[in-house]
Amino acid sequence: VSILSKMLKKKQKSRQNDDLRQQQDPQKPEDLQILRVYKENISRLKAELGNSSDITVREFKISNHKGVLVYMDGLADSKGISDFLLESFFETEVVPPQMDYFQFMIDKVVALGSIQTITNWNQVYDNLLSGNTIIFLDGYNKAISGATQGWEKRAITEPSTQLTIRGPKDSFTETLRTNTALIRRRIKSPNLWLETMKIGTVSQTDIGIMYIKGIANEKIIAEIKERLKRINMDSILDSGYIEQLIEDQTWTTFPTTYHSERPDVVSSHLLEGRIAIIVDGTPFVITAPAIFIQFFQASDDYYLRFDISTSIRILRILAFFIAFLAPATYIAATTFHQEMIPTTMAIAIAAQREYVPFPAFVEALIMEVTFEILREAGLRLPRAVGQAVSIVGALVIGQAAVEAGFVSPVMVIVVSSTAIANFSTPVFDMAIAARLIRFVMMGLAAILGFYGMMLGLMFMTIHLCSLRSFGIPYMMPLAPFNLHNQQDVFIRFPIWAMKNRPSFISKGNIVRTGENQKPDPLIQEDDQPKGEQS
Amino acid sequence: MKKLLLPFLLMSILILTLSGCWNQKELTDLAFVTAMGIDKGKDKKFNVSFQIVNPGNIPSGQNGGGQGLPIAVYKSSGDTLTEASRNATKKVSRRLYYAHTNLVAISKEVAREEILNVIDALDRDPEFRTTTQMVITRNTTAEELVSSLTILDKLPVNKITKELKATQTMLGENMSVSIDDFINGLVSNGKEPIINGYKISGKKSMAKKAENLQMTTTGAFLEADGLAVFKKGKLTGWIDHERARGVVWILNKVKSTDINVSWNGKKNAIVFATIRSKTKVSVHFKNGKPVINIAIKDEGWISEANTAVDLTNPNKIEKIDKQVEKEIKRQILASVRTAKKKKSDIFGFGEKVHRANPKLWKKIQGNWNEQFAELEVNVKVDSFIRREGIRTKPFWSNLNK
Repeated sequence: VSILSKMLKKKQKSRQNDDLRQQQDPQKPEDLQILRVYKENISRLKAELGNSSDITVREFKISNHKGVLVYMDGLADSKGISDFLLESFFETEVVPPQMDYFQFMIDKVVALGSIQTITNWNQVYDNLLSGNTIIFLDGYNKAISGATQGWEKRAITEPSTQLTIRGPKDSFTETLRTNTALIRRRIKSPNLWLETMKIGTVSQTDIGIMYIKGIANEKIIAEIKERLKRINMDSILDSGYIEQLIEDQTWTTFPTTYHSERPDVVSSHLLEGRIAIIVDGTPFVITAPAIFIQFFQASDDYYLRFDISTSIRILRILAFFIAFLAPATYIAATTFHQEMIPTTMAIAIAAQREYVPFPAFVEALIMEVTFEILREAGLRLPRAVGQAVSIVGALVIGQAAVEAGFVSPVMVIVVSSTAIANFSTPVFDMAIAARLIRFVMMGLAAILGFYGMMLGLMFMTIHLCSLRSFGIPYMMPLAPFNLHNQQDVFIRFPIWAMKNRPSFISKGNIVRTGENQKPDPLIQEDDQPKGEQS
Repeated sequence: MKKLLLPFLLMSILILTLSGCWNQKELTDLAFVTAMGIDKGKDKKFNVSFQIVNPGNIPSGQNGGGQGLPIAVYKSSGDTLTEASRNATKKVSRRLYYAHTNLVAISKEVAREEILNVIDALDRDPEFRTTTQMVITRNTTAEELVSSLTILDKLPVNKITKELKATQTMLGENMSVSIDDFINGLVSNGKEPIINGYKISGKKSMAKKAENLQMTTTGAFLEADGLAVFKKGKLTGWIDHERARGVVWILNKVKSTDINVSWNGKKNAIVFATIRSKTKVSVHFKNGKPVINIAIKDEGWISEANTAVDLTNPNKIEKIDKQVEKEIKRQILASVRTAKKKKSDIFGFGEKVHRANPKLWKKIQGNWNEQFAELEVNVKVDSFIRREGIRTKPFWSNLNK
């Protein structure tokens, strides 16, 4: 670990050097002004963009004044351009002599909702490459940029990774604007603030930071912004990049930020005082800070009644333990602690293991690795072939392996129950953490039995308690224990009893539910007022 | 980094100091000893037989088990149990594993003389469970008992342990006695231990043959038989049938049993089946001598009425109650008499006296066995018929019309 961290430090140093080099670069477009001769602007643009074929250039003339309109084909909405720009250009015949041509264009001709005057080349590239139309006018060293963004985008579909029985069925798309709109449609509050920035020296990816002013903790907002500003990378292709660059701890298998493709989940996180980071080009929105128990809260927990969701949540936590302890328990019990197995079962297992050539650990390892390979293969294969894999998998893992005397039937049960338990964790990040820990636990169980497993569990608990997510203890509100925030941990309180936001995340506006929200049928049954209540 | 390293180092050090049960043993390297038989040896003190499971032949799931027998019995001898157990490794390819030993069978001869030299080995071994049941073989050797095959349970040991528990709850003539119970009885001041008796009925030579299992009425079968009474760590005699039930009853271990009473001169006319019963033993002192009071409260139902009797009549029911009480009292007094004759306080009356009056106990504990033989014992039974089954009037009532 220490060697790795040294290497990282070296890398960081070299990264800083790159930074300096870049700053010294005299060719930075920010310094360059737009030229007065519009044709020179066009030729410069073409030269800089390597004469890319998707640059569309349309020259026009309004009375005597020449101009040119530039946009990127595919990024800009060409129908909008012809409707609101070209058509109005052609209809305008005279420029009133008393008016400045540039101002006249802005005031009277360019029929777009959002326009902007730009002066340097950096802005030109920015606007052009994000789908805006740039209008250069002859004789002016500035240009008009009109918002004409419009590209082919994926429609809002059902979420594909975080499914629920009950609840909204929309999910985020790859477009930042659509995603912010999906959240805004749920929280119609002026306090829902959106800040944007561009990250990625080459990719110039749009990042949106969303939070509810007054509910979110200002310190955490500042911290997140600071960490985002520190990012110096060529590109951000998915929110996963951001996640890995801003998380508190790299050396952990546990996720310290949360991500979701469900707008309802992100909205609920915002309402709890968390901060959402939306990255253009990916449907996965990050929310932070994240705590351990959050990864066992599915969104239907809040849509179903509390008794049901509480029992399901406890089941999920149980399944999590099965997912990383079941094979280790099998190994420890069969190789160290045979006295712990009931006699008949011990003999039954012994009977099955009689013709298995490997020790229990190797047997378990073979099966677990086979299963992991199958899962990975099933994930990558084209859908048409996928079915074949599942058939082969069922045969290999199940029937054939047992009949060949390769593994014992009990092992198949252990592996399959582990796998199924693993899938019941609502968030993939946490599930994959359990998968990794499982192998460590198996190793410990093979060397030291239950004693080793206890060591592993102890180490894991210590590690979990040491983790922080943006300064918030990861095991909050369990360690440090906080009695007032237990309403959404193991037991999901009735919705009217969840009076406060988690106080360790949200600062300021804590109360979320009013008094006397408990449904009382008597009020409706007889219309007579019952007098003072509460 | 230092923060991470320190706990890790500490744990690594702890691993070295706390390596209590690190010895890994694969299931396939173990020979599960399910039962152990201890007989008197010829050259050495003990002949020990180990009933070992043959896992490959235990039917499990689809593969239905192999062709052979589910168990194999290995014999070895030694002056101590450990010696015998180590000697057995010459004959068994696997490590003998005692954690699943559910039965220790001790032959009558060993029980008479050497049982005290066996117990500590069973008690001390960390693998051996003190909940393991003990039986004394009556008309056979321990070796024959552990070599027997049974038809219903694939593992013969299950047959014995399950059966003892079943008779304890259904009949009350036997009770499951573990090594722990036995040791408690041995060391307790004012109580003597008892152990179940076990025998093989039928042709003993058939018991260990597979063909025995091919018949519906097996040629030889295992059967619980009576309670062995110990005195000062030595077998002194047996208590059987009804009297054994009385013992179990006084020890408050009876859950369910049957009592036959006569009605209008007809013997065994009404059968009373208890469903729950509670026994309280108390002591009071008369002229400086302890008197034992046994109070039994039991409930039950009428499981048979083989005579014309109107069970809807509360007076009749009460009369039956009285009869049952009398019968139970008779049985209990009979077993007390038997124990008195053997001068062995298997009921733990001495313990009760000790608790009630420690000063007196100090004086009399020296010859408690003699005292016990002349002890005054009163029995009070409070029986109650809870229900009559699904018939009130037996068909006998209408038979003569």
